Amino acid sequence: MDSFTPTEFIAVVNQTLDYAYSSVTVVGEVASFKVNQGKWVFFDIKDEESSISCFMTLYQLRIPIEDGMKVMVKGVPKITKWGKFSFTVQAVQPVGEGSLKKVYEILKKKLADEGLFDPAKKRPIPKGLSKIGVISSTAAAGYADFIKIFNARWGGTKIQVAHTQVQGIDAPDQIIRALKYFNERGEVEAIAIIRGGGSADDLACFNDEALVRAVASSKIPVISGIGHEVDESLVDLAADVRASTPSNAAELLTFDRKTTASSVNDMVNRAGQNLVYKISNIKKEQRDKMLQVSNIINLKISGYRKELSDKIKILGALDPEKVLERGYAILRGEISVGNVVKITTISKEIKAEVKEINERQ
Amino acid sequence: MKDNKTLTQKIKELEEKIDWFYSDDFELEEATINYKTAIALAKELQEDLNNLQNEIEILKEDFSK
Repeated sequence: MDSFTPTEFIAVVNQTLDYAYSSVTVVGEVASFKVNQGKWVFFDIKDEESSISCFMTLYQLRIPIEDGMKVMVKGVPKITKWGKFSFTVQAVQPVGEGSLKKVYEILKKKLADEGLFDPAKKRPIPKGLSKIGVISSTAAAGYADFIKIFNARWGGTKIQVAHTQVQGIDAPDQIIRALKYFNERGEVEAIAIIRGGGSADDLACFNDEALVRAVASSKIPVISGIGHEVDESLVDLAADVRASTPSNAAELLTFDRKTTASSVNDMVNRAGQNLVYKISNIKKEQRDKMLQVSNIINLKISGYRKELSDKIKILGALDPEKVLERGYAILRGEISVGNVVKITTISKEIKAEVKEINERQ
Repeated sequence: MKDNKTLTQKIKELEEKIDWFYSDDFELEEATINYKTAIALAKELQEDLNNLQNEIEILKEDFSK
């Protein structure tokens, strides 16, 4: 029979535990929760009969927990060098409606106070982007809905999909890594976090503090399409745009092909009508100008006519025959006594001798 | 697509061409040519809208680690 030193035995047991339970998830109620030196977190997780001592760093604790809260912890079991069983926790998630609600409200207030949900920080996400990133589980119904609606409505977009878990204790870290991936590369214009409907427990990962912070600090605008209309997660509040469902997220990111086609037709038709209108306007302008010129010419001609007529009248008045008609006579020849002068009347030519010349008074 | 422009870029281009007809830059001499160009672009857009597919790439990266 093999014999061990205590150190060897603990090492063997830990090796066996690691082999059998490299990562274990335990659900139970929190008891004796305390934080030491602002760094180390200790609590028990228990049910009616048993209790497990848990240990983790404060850094890893991403939700506010307290005694009596039902949680799911993921961690590694081990025997300490003092021979005591310990459970080193890697992640904690609330379980059950009461715990979920409590954690949600505490975190919501904390993050809101920090300004993470400030509407002024929201960036608009335009439709019809050329490249987007999607974070979702490719096996999930919500992802299928998103892609189906996206493809039906629009084309020509490059969609990079980061396949991650979208529920469970590992989901937040995976989604954070995917966010980091897209942000580091900077190739996509928007990131969509997509997950279909589910229970409050299923959607709890979207209330993870680190994930909410990663969404809020993303350099690339984020749209969330998580659950149904009634489901509101902290990721929704931190995202730049919140869609009510995955299908709605696809709608918000795309134009509709049919509406766009109709709009393109309308645009060109309106331009055509505008062109015809402008041409007819130009024609009318030309006609009006011609008419204006014609009017000016006519006006000038009548002016000339009147002027001519006046001159003719003046000329008529100066005509000697007209003077004779009025009874006057023309006297020709030298006016001296004894001389013969010629007198012309309207009907007669008279020769007469000058008898006497007197000055008029 | 007949070139590298996206649908959105083409729509923007068409809008700019259409705006020209309503702008002070409008010249009757250029109008016919511009209208023909707009019609051709609209036709291309209609084809794109009917046929264009999205390109979906599932990343190979393992985000579980």
